[in-house]
Amino acid sequence: MSHAIETESLEYRAGKQFALQRLNIHVPAGSIYGFLGPNGSGKTTTIRLLLALLRPQGGRIRVLDGEMPDDAPRLLARIGFVPEQPHLDVTFTVREMLQFQAAFYRTWDARRAEDLLRQFQLDDHQLIGRLSKGQKAKVLILLALAQRGDLLVLDEPTDGLDPVVRRDILFALLEYVSQYKATILISSHLVHELERICDWVGVLDDGRLLTETPMATLKNGIKRLRVRDAPASIGTAPFVVLARHAANGGGGAVTTAGETWVVRDWAPEMASYFDGIGASLDDVIDLDLEDSFVELLRASRAPAGRS
Amino acid sequence: MFRAILYSQWKWSRLIVAVGTIAGFALPLVSLQGAARADRSPLEAEALLHAVQAWGVLYPLLAAALGLLVAIVTWAPDHRGRHIHALTLPLARWRYVLLRFATGATVLAGPILGVTIGALIAVAAATLPPGLHGYPLALAVRFALAALVAYALFFAVSAGTARTAGIILGVIGAIVVVQVFASVANLELNLADHLQMVLTNWPGPLAVFTGRWMLIDV
Amino acid sequence: MFERIDPRSSTPLYAQIAARIRSAVASGELRPAAALPSVRELAADLRVNPATVVQAYRELEAEGFVEIRHGAGTFVRELAPARRSRERARQARAIVQRMLTEARRHGVSVRELRDAIDAEIGVEAT
Repeated sequence: MSHAIETESLEYRAGKQFALQRLNIHVPAGSIYGFLGPNGSGKTTTIRLLLALLRPQGGRIRVLDGEMPDDAPRLLARIGFVPEQPHLDVTFTVREMLQFQAAFYRTWDARRAEDLLRQFQLDDHQLIGRLSKGQKAKVLILLALAQRGDLLVLDEPTDGLDPVVRRDILFALLEYVSQYKATILISSHLVHELERICDWVGVLDDGRLLTETPMATLKNGIKRLRVRDAPASIGTAPFVVLARHAANGGGGAVTTAGETWVVRDWAPEMASYFDGIGASLDDVIDLDLEDSFVELLRASRAPAGRS
Repeated sequence: MFRAILYSQWKWSRLIVAVGTIAGFALPLVSLQGAARADRSPLEAEALLHAVQAWGVLYPLLAAALGLLVAIVTWAPDHRGRHIHALTLPLARWRYVLLRFATGATVLAGPILGVTIGALIAVAAATLPPGLHGYPLALAVRFALAALVAYALFFAVSAGTARTAGIILGVIGAIVVVQVFASVANLELNLADHLQMVLTNWPGPLAVFTGRWMLIDV
Repeated sequence: MFERIDPRSSTPLYAQIAARIRSAVASGELRPAAALPSVRELAADLRVNPATVVQAYRELEAEGFVEIRHGAGTFVRELAPARRSRERARQARAIVQRMLTEARRHGVSVRELRDAIDAEIGVEAT
C-alpha cells in the first residue's frame, strides 16, 4: 500500500452553494500531509467523508487497505481522529474517558496514555466539561495517540490554542511519528506550523484541489519575479504564470516598464527564458508558504482573461 | 465493549434508576397501607380494592417515565456531540445502537426489581380479606414489560435526529399520559375517539399500559 | 545550535540543518566522535518532521561528515585537516556569493563593495 488515503473523483454536495468537485487526493503512506485551505473550502467535509461520517455522492474513497464507508468499522480501529470541535461527553472524567476508549481498541497503549497524561500535565480526575480549551485539545490528542493507529487525521488540532499548548501538542505528535511509521493528515490554517512538519501539502479552495505536491516543491516553486520589457502576451513558458502586475502593484494595463510576475513551477535554469523573449529578469523573490498559498488562491479565483 | 457502554449508561442514568427503584419499591407497600390489620369486613375489602386501584395508576406512569428518561439520557450526549464520537468508534452503527439498547434495558432492572421485591413484601406482610388474592409477580412482570416497551419506543425515537426526537417524544409522552388517565378515570374526553383509534392501530405495545393495575384482586 | 533554522526560507529545512552541522564540524565546534542529537530529540526540539532530520543526517553521512550507527546514534567523524579547510573555504565563498547578490540587488558596485570591506576590516582590526 503506497498510499494511506486515495480518493477518486470524490463528489459531495451540500445545499446549493457548496460542493466538492471530483477530488483526487493521494496521501502517501508514512507522510505528514498538510491539508490547506481557507474556511469553507471543504476541508472538514472531506475529512468527514474520509472517516465515513458522511456518504459520498460520487467517486471512491480508499483508506489504508479498505474502502470507505463500507469497511468503516474495521478501518476505524486503525484510525485516530482529532475533530475540530471536542465531541466527548462532558460528564466523564479524563480517566473514565481513557478507560472507555481502551475498551474499543485492541492496539490501545496504556503506557503511552500514562506518559502523555504526565507530559501534558493533565489531572485524570478532572471532568472533561471542566477542562480549559487547551486541555481538551490535549485530551483529544492523547486519545488519538494512545490508540496507536496507523493513520491519524487531525482537523485543525491547534486552532485557537496558545503557543505553549500548540508546542506541547506538536511535540507529542512528532514523537509519535518518530516511533511509528504512521501517516498523518492535518488540516490547518496555521500555515507556519504546517511548513515545518509536512512533507506533502494539498491545497483546497471552494471544493477543488488546486494542487497536491511535496512541500518543498510548493515552497520553492512559487516565486515573485521582477521583470522588465516583457511583451504583453507571451507564448508557452516553462513555468506557470499565476499573475502579472505592474511594478507599483496596480492591477491595470500591463506596461513595458517594470512588472512583477508570480509564477509556479519555477526552476533557476528558467532564467534564460527571459532572454528568449527579449525581456530581462531583475530579481527572483522567495515566497514563504503563506504567501505562496495566498498567490495560488488569488490566481485560481481571478476572473478569466489574465495571461 | 458491553462493559464500557454499560458503565457510561450507568453513569448517565444512575440518578433516575435510583429514584425509580425507590419509588417502585415503595409503591406496592404504600398502596397496601392499612391492610396489615386483622379481621377485615367485606366493606373494608371494597375500600382496599379502591385504594389499590387508585395507587395502581402510578405503575404505568412510573414505567413510562422511566422508559422516557432512560432513553433520553442514553442519547442526549450523543446528540450533543453530533454523533461524532459514536460514529468514529470501530464498530458498526447498528451494533452500537444494539449495545445501547441492551445496557439501557439492563439498568431498568433496578426499578423492576424494586417493584418486584416491594410487591412481594407488601403482599406477604398484608392480611388479606377472604376472597382476595395477591398478584405480586404478575404485577411485576407487567411493570417490567411496560417499562421495556416505553424504553424501546422512546429509544427508537431518540436514536434519530435531535429535533424530530424532541417533537415525537413530546407527542408520544402526552398521548401515553392522557391515555392512561382516560382509561383509568373513565373520562369522556373529546380525545377519547382518537385514543381508541390509536389503541386499535397499536394493539400490542400500548395495551400493556391500559386497564387496571391491581396488586390485590379477586 | 540550531537557532537560525528558518522554515520560511527557500532553502529546504534538511539542507539548513545539514549546513549548520557541516559548519560546526568544519570549525571544530563539534568535535570528532561527538554524538549528534537523536532524530527524535532534534525533530521535537526544532518542531520539524523527523523525516527531515533523517534526510539531513543521511546527506551528511554520504558526504563523510558523520557516521550513523543504528541503535547507537549519529556521531561526528574525524575530518582530515585538508578536508576541513576546504569546507571552510567553501563556506566563505558561499557567504561572499550572498553578499554579491545582495549588493547587486541594492545597486552597489563591486568596487564600492571592496572599499566597504576594507573599511570594515580596518575597523575590526583596531
